[in-house]
Amino acid sequence: MTAVIARINKYTIKPQKNMGNQKLFKGSLQTIILKLLAQNDKMYGYEITQKVKELTKGELKITEGALYPALHKLEADGLLDVEVAKVGNRLRKYYKLTEHGTKETANKLAEMQEFLKTMQHLVNPKFSLE
Amino acid sequence: MKLTETEIERLYKFTREHFVYHYDVQSELVDHLANDIEQTWVAQPHLKFEKARDISFKKFGVFGFMDVVEKKQKAMNKHYWKILLRFVKEWFTLPKIIITGLIFMVFFTILQSTFAEETIIASTLILVIVDLFFLFKNRSKKKTPNEKTFLLESMIGETRNGFSVLVLVNIFNMINLSDVNFNTMSIYMLLLVAIFATLMCIVFYITAFVMPSKAQELLIEKYPEYKMI
Repeated sequence: MTAVIARINKYTIKPQKNMGNQKLFKGSLQTIILKLLAQNDKMYGYEITQKVKELTKGELKITEGALYPALHKLEADGLLDVEVAKVGNRLRKYYKLTEHGTKETANKLAEMQEFLKTMQHLVNPKFSLE
Repeated sequence: MKLTETEIERLYKFTREHFVYHYDVQSELVDHLANDIEQTWVAQPHLKFEKARDISFKKFGVFGFMDVVEKKQKAMNKHYWKILLRFVKEWFTLPKIIITGLIFMVFFTILQSTFAEETIIASTLILVIVDLFFLFKNRSKKKTPNEKTFLLESMIGETRNGFSVLVLVNIFNMINLSDVNFNTMSIYMLLLVAIFATLMCIVFYITAFVMPSKAQELLIEKYPEYKMI
């Protein structure tokens, strides 16, 4: 029994500091994907995880179990288009923004900026005498 | 170090063993695992393929590929409905709107007759039999487990996004058990029932016959890789 619990913990429990970050990060996953695709024309799943790791110096890590569902949802919503190419001995699925996706990226980024500004006010309020 | 053809095949088998049955979903996961294994080999070149594969698989979490498969199914359901809606719309433009109108008129007339319930129940029963007949006919043509099946392909051919004999059986039961009496209903209510029945007929026809007959076109439209394999 203990062995089973230890095994489950191994998969589910992450270091506290990391866990907090991952939670904050989860709601922004779609915006991050869209922003990356706006900068890189087309990308494949693994490339996205590596790019985020590289840009955030390993601070944020997109989990595989969250990335693909997010990509498939964005595709179903018509924000992403797919392209498949044979790379070496395997097929690779590339994602790129559709016209609608490009517009939506701008909206989502604006929303994110607004959210960050609000959070900034909340966690770091500037007091004035007025 | 790159993965060999055999190792890629083994990854496809691995995804199948972990309940990923459709080629489109498998391909994406295989590429992901392959990239991750190759990345692991950069740091640990002597690590065995199976070990490296298990390390990569663990990154998907305790539920493995289940979450990816479930969400993909959900996204594909949405796509299926979009295609279905596209075909339904055709039935409200010329020349098909004439047939739609005729079906509606037939239903509306039947509903006002004395034998309304009996006729509706009998026609639903006939539809169920027809549906079951085609379902078994298609099953006998089913591919071997190792053949590549796409998720949308199986939705068009088999599950039809749930809109199959099950829906018809439910309608049959609803009418049969709830003791509906069409003769006591107001004309507006009968109009609504006739509209609903017409829509059901069209949707049934599209999912059972139109979409399967256009499966190839629909698959090429959805999957750029369909022509590559």
